[in-house]
Amino acid sequence: MIYKHLSIKIIATLFGLWFAVSLNAQASPDAGKELFKNYCAACHSKDMRSAATGPALGGAQTKWADDVALYAWIRNSQAMIQKGHPRAVELWNQYKPTVMTAFPNLTDDEIGSIMAYVNGVYDGTYGPKKDVAAVGTGAKVEEKSQLPMYLIIVGVLAILALLLTKIISNLNQIASAKEGYQVEAKTITQILTSKGVVTFLIFAVIILGAYTTVNKATELGRQEGYAPDQPIKFSHATHAGVHKIDCQYCHDSARRSKHSSIPGTNTCMNCHSAIKNGSMYGTAEITKIYASIGYDPSTQKYIENYNAKSEDEIKAIYTKWIGDEYKRVKEKADIDAEGERVVADQWANIKESLTNDQKKQIQGPIEWVRIHNLPDHVYFNHAQHVTVGKLACQTCHGKVEEMDLMKQMSPLSMGWCINCHRQTEVKFKDNAYYANYTRYHEELAAGKRDKVTVADIGGLECQKCHY
Amino acid sequence: MKKQIDNIWIGQKDLVKDADFMKTADMEFVEEQVSYADMTSNLSGNRRDFLKFLGFGLGAATVAAGCDIPVKRAIPYVVKPDQIVPGIANYYASTFVNGGDYCPVLVKTREGRPIKIEGNDLSPVTGGGTSARAQASVLSLYDTNRFTGPKAKDGASWKDASWTDVDKTISDALQTSKNIRIVTNTVMSPTSKKAMSEFAAKYPNTKIVSYDPVSCSALLDANAKNFGVRAVPSYRFDKAEVIVSFNADFLGSWISPVEYASGYAKGRKISDIANAKMSRHIQVENHMSLTGSNADNRVLVKPSEQGVAIAHLYNEVTGSSVSAAGLNERAKKVLSKVAQELKAAQGKSLVVSASNNVNEQLMVNAINNSLGNYGNTIDMSTPSYQRQGNDADLKGLVDEIKAGSVDMLMLFGANPVYDSVYGVQFAESLSKVKTKISFAQVNDESTDLCDIVAPNHHFLESWGDVEAKKGYFTLIQPTISPLFNTRQVELSLLIWAASTNVDITKEQPYYEYLKESWKSGPFTSQSEYASFQSFWDHVVHDGIYNVTNTSAPSYTSVEIGSDITKPATSELEISYFETVHMANGQYAGNPWLMEMADPITRTVWGNYLAVPVNFDGIKTMVGFKDLVDGDLVELTIGEKKVTLPVIQQFGQMPGTVSLALGYGRTLAGNTGSNVGVNVNDCLTMGPSGPSYYNTSVAVSDKTGEEDEFSCVQYHHTIGVRGIDKETGEEINADEAALVFFDYFTGVKGFQGALTDRSVIYTSNVAELKNSVEHLQERRKHAQHLNDQQIYRGFDHLYSLGHHWGMHVDLNACIGCGACTVACMSENNVPVVGKHEVSIHHEMTWLRIDRYYYGDVENPNTIYQPMMCQHCDNAPCENVCPVNATNHSSEGLNQMAYNRCIGTRYCANNCPYKVRRFNWLDYTKADIWPANQPRLQEESVPFMADNLTRMVLNPDVTVRSRGVIEKCSFCVQRIQEGKLTAKTEGRVLRDSDVRTACQTSCPTGAITFGDMNDKKGELTMKLESPLNYIALEEINVRSSVTYTMKVNNRDKSFDA
Repeated sequence: MIYKHLSIKIIATLFGLWFAVSLNAQASPDAGKELFKNYCAACHSKDMRSAATGPALGGAQTKWADDVALYAWIRNSQAMIQKGHPRAVELWNQYKPTVMTAFPNLTDDEIGSIMAYVNGVYDGTYGPKKDVAAVGTGAKVEEKSQLPMYLIIVGVLAILALLLTKIISNLNQIASAKEGYQVEAKTITQILTSKGVVTFLIFAVIILGAYTTVNKATELGRQEGYAPDQPIKFSHATHAGVHKIDCQYCHDSARRSKHSSIPGTNTCMNCHSAIKNGSMYGTAEITKIYASIGYDPSTQKYIENYNAKSEDEIKAIYTKWIGDEYKRVKEKADIDAEGERVVADQWANIKESLTNDQKKQIQGPIEWVRIHNLPDHVYFNHAQHVTVGKLACQTCHGKVEEMDLMKQMSPLSMGWCINCHRQTEVKFKDNAYYANYTRYHEELAAGKRDKVTVADIGGLECQKCHY
Repeated sequence: MKKQIDNIWIGQKDLVKDADFMKTADMEFVEEQVSYADMTSNLSGNRRDFLKFLGFGLGAATVAAGCDIPVKRAIPYVVKPDQIVPGIANYYASTFVNGGDYCPVLVKTREGRPIKIEGNDLSPVTGGGTSARAQASVLSLYDTNRFTGPKAKDGASWKDASWTDVDKTISDALQTSKNIRIVTNTVMSPTSKKAMSEFAAKYPNTKIVSYDPVSCSALLDANAKNFGVRAVPSYRFDKAEVIVSFNADFLGSWISPVEYASGYAKGRKISDIANAKMSRHIQVENHMSLTGSNADNRVLVKPSEQGVAIAHLYNEVTGSSVSAAGLNERAKKVLSKVAQELKAAQGKSLVVSASNNVNEQLMVNAINNSLGNYGNTIDMSTPSYQRQGNDADLKGLVDEIKAGSVDMLMLFGANPVYDSVYGVQFAESLSKVKTKISFAQVNDESTDLCDIVAPNHHFLESWGDVEAKKGYFTLIQPTISPLFNTRQVELSLLIWAASTNVDITKEQPYYEYLKESWKSGPFTSQSEYASFQSFWDHVVHDGIYNVTNTSAPSYTSVEIGSDITKPATSELEISYFETVHMANGQYAGNPWLMEMADPITRTVWGNYLAVPVNFDGIKTMVGFKDLVDGDLVELTIGEKKVTLPVIQQFGQMPGTVSLALGYGRTLAGNTGSNVGVNVNDCLTMGPSGPSYYNTSVAVSDKTGEEDEFSCVQYHHTIGVRGIDKETGEEINADEAALVFFDYFTGVKGFQGALTDRSVIYTSNVAELKNSVEHLQERRKHAQHLNDQQIYRGFDHLYSLGHHWGMHVDLNACIGCGACTVACMSENNVPVVGKHEVSIHHEMTWLRIDRYYYGDVENPNTIYQPMMCQHCDNAPCENVCPVNATNHSSEGLNQMAYNRCIGTRYCANNCPYKVRRFNWLDYTKADIWPANQPRLQEESVPFMADNLTRMVLNPDVTVRSRGVIEKCSFCVQRIQEGKLTAKTEGRVLRDSDVRTACQTSCPTGAITFGDMNDKKGELTMKLESPLNYIALEEINVRSSVTYTMKVNNRDKSFDA
């Protein structure tokens, strides 16, 4: 537990540091960053180097003859294509039929800010320095575990006790000998089968057994570290880590609802209608998205009446696509034996992933394995924590952006919740809702109180979470 | 014989100090009554079995513990609808309609499932109120008895059919059918009527026959004669200062109770103490109806005297001299006084009658006209279409069927075999009709005699419109896609009529039809919206569209016939009445309504014969034939003999008995079949239609006792009266507590022994000033006592943040019970069944306690909604050994179910008796059918099947066996409201948090809010000097405040 809270704190510190650095940078790229997040990040990668739905933006400015043309392109790309601007046509040929969203309302200043941010990130002059991580590691002064120390103390005490016992028994023997009794030294077996030792052992077994039972019983149903295989080998590391897609882009109900919600397949399609090959598994995983929603990547169209299609028809569509991609990547005119095996394997995997005992059809929702399971009698609300409490998702879910396979980082136990409620400060000052806590406001103003924790406003009470 | 009792009583057992009752009243749980001896099939076992189960349990637990955690799946949408955010409720404006019952509502849906009904505040008709029937309607959507698709009769049972087959069979039959009859209850939808008339145009030999299960035909006919409009006028109870009702239960079941109750309560609330004003309400009836119980004075007349009673008033008001012979002397005297009062309130009075005799209704109209009420308290410019039935048409239909001249019969929402006066004749002669089609959703008595079922959607799955009053339109929109393979009636009719106006290739053909109908209808009557789409979007969003009417038809005097109800000379008469929850059996299949306590008798699961009762003023009840509650008698009405239990009813006129309609249905699903007795075949035929009484009646002596007498009136009582040992006075007392506090405080007489407890305060408008002074004195005394105690208040703790509280205006509460059903719906409160109720195991979090006071023969009534009072010094909290119930910083008395180990100490220590224990696993085990061995043969219990479970509120835990539960002040709504305010970064408003009982109330009697919000609605209400806290002297510091009940009784009427 100690480790975990420590790492939460470290993460929080790191975030704090990062924000501080960002805020101290130039004003213009900062504004650009906000704008980028709002308008561009859905299609353009945040690292400015890799292509996503749209091209990488790093160095884009240099590829355009002048800013006027670039700005016009951003405001309405289709108009530029129709005008026949050479760079516009070039991009269109590369990316069609994906159309870039028009942003007619962006001012020159705003686009300037975005480009400043883009260039800043691209050439590394903006944003977190590479060595921030090092600073973080440096700051990671871990508290040494007390366990070895305890063990040493226990060991020393045990030896001491043994020595003392030995001394006492020797002294007793000497005393008895002096008084003329012949005392035989007890054998080890005699000692071990003596009443005292047996009683002690039974007592110890009961205590240990009870202790273990209680602990194990408490842990029943807890799934810390639970990381089941999912129907799609979806990697948060790729999406949130490499491409820096905002958590709430996909988990969009976290800010307004109790559930964070797993995104519908249509959310995947926002990007994957363009990105058809995964960086790790090629067509193997992304085709599952298409098979769920009924998108034919070969024709780039949604399949009509998809729900009515038979399995063979679906198989024909997607095995064709997988085969074609195989040929394209391997640069072969015909499918060879290995290609056939790849197609067959991938299709078998798609079918297995999208169907189960209850769901016989390939079409329809992707049934993910739920990782974070709260008991029914617990009410938890994401909006309360994300929107009102302004907590980072990582506080509870860990470094999701580094996880290839999603796992449960926190125990989700009541003690864990309560601890956090005891320590976490309420965003008290900037929310008018808390105005009626007048006494706390007065105490804060008078300096009698340095913070108001969740516990201070009743965050430990039963019916905040159980009703 | 008469005795005026100043204090309250809860029933005759209380008045006579019934020894058994006094014993049970002291206890929270009545355990000795729990007997499972007759349930051997379920609970048999001996020591060996016990050991077997123990061994198996241990083994199973070990195996289970070794297993992996079951894999749970998270299934997202494929294409997520924009408007659905999982975890956030969506509200859709719609309208609850069932025949003539009407209520504009908002339907709360979660992840696409309707789970709760709220009133639509925008409605000028109901003002956002609801009824118990509307609240419970969401459960009927998930009724397991619903038809899963079209069916055809195969011998005696139903066989699945396809829509194509059904359409073909019917289209073929239509070609050869000479006379086609569509039987409906009231249809308020203009577009339904359009569809029906299109059908009738295609098949000109079609006739639509409509009737109401409880007939209002005479009222409509009288208005047709006087105004040329066959409709119910808009009654303005809010404008009326003197209200006289002849047997019309306008607050409970008559025509439009939600509308009337909201208007009525406006005249009953008291805001200014110095110049207190209140409407006068006189009810002329023989049986204590919900409306009568709210009246200031009741005039007792026998059912057969109703006609002459009206005639007498008519003579007195208009100066005519119609024969009114046979009216009892007392009523005659009192009605003359009433006439004087009415005449003094020209244009500010209102006379209504439920009579189904045209001449009587004509007299009522003449009285109202003579008093100048038309245009003032009666608005004829906005007629109401909530009752349209025509008894003569129904009679005609029966004759036609008997003559064999009807070829095709369609039952559109009507169940004439059960609920019409011609039920027996229908049942006998229906076989003469060649093709019989029913649109019913659930098999009923009439449908079962049909050949084909073309099941209709539930209203929550339908599109539709309603014109409840002229120009007052509301829309019905679907809130879930149809659960079963059902089809809207209108669409079926249009398809069979091969209409060209409906395109069945569209996804929702009837929706398109409805839109077209509105495009050519209401859209043309407005100028605000230029395009139809914007108009339509607006109407669908609001659910409401109103057109103002200006011109009213004028009153034309017509000759009033002499054929009025003749007073009978028989010794005993029986009257039939409609209850708020069952109507005439339409709601018998709904478990929530079946288990809702009748407001007056407080009985559940069955109808009980109400017999008169009187009190000699000392200790003896003068009962009718010495019958007491729960005795079985044989009731003979004409030829019919039934055995049923009785209930002693205060205010029941001697020489009369009464029985509720709507029970004894033979086919009403698992819930309603064979509960109680049916008397629809025992009505008296008047000149134009049925009258709801019978004079040929006899009641036998006691023949036995009801095994499962289910009346909650004597359960969880707190208003019991006892003798104060010190003074010898009879006082209002609770459990006898021991004297503990003398030692600390030196103060005697509080919390010691039997003390006079403040449960109810009553007053009369004329004596209000004195009563308020008395109340203030009592409160001051109580507060003084409380200050002496070691348990002081903890107000300083609650001054931060919120401090939740509730105010209940007993002058506005009419006891209709909408809140009790709303509470069950919101909080997943289980239905426990008749047997469990009979052993005090009902689970309702909110009950409405009924008290009587005043004249024993003809008492006044108080309704006191009683729920957890969230005491700040809660006695339940400090007795819990595991701290499962404790207090929040916001003043809530919290209940953590998972901590509860079921000692029930808290319930024993609750002075209000509002805590409920889950004796059995009501929500999922096979318990409910076990409670209903005779009623339930299905193996799947209520709430255990996946369909019924869809109604559960996902934000509220479903409790399991062995834990206590109670009102939580709708904590899930509090938390949701707080979150909304926090997210928006603003101070919490009153509108953010409203409890389920508050939103359901048609009269606005309940106000919930934050006592720390100095500008809030609750704070305003808490300033009234009429306020008091129940049991204030025991220092529990409850958070619920009640108002003194004030009546406007004229005591000279009693002389």
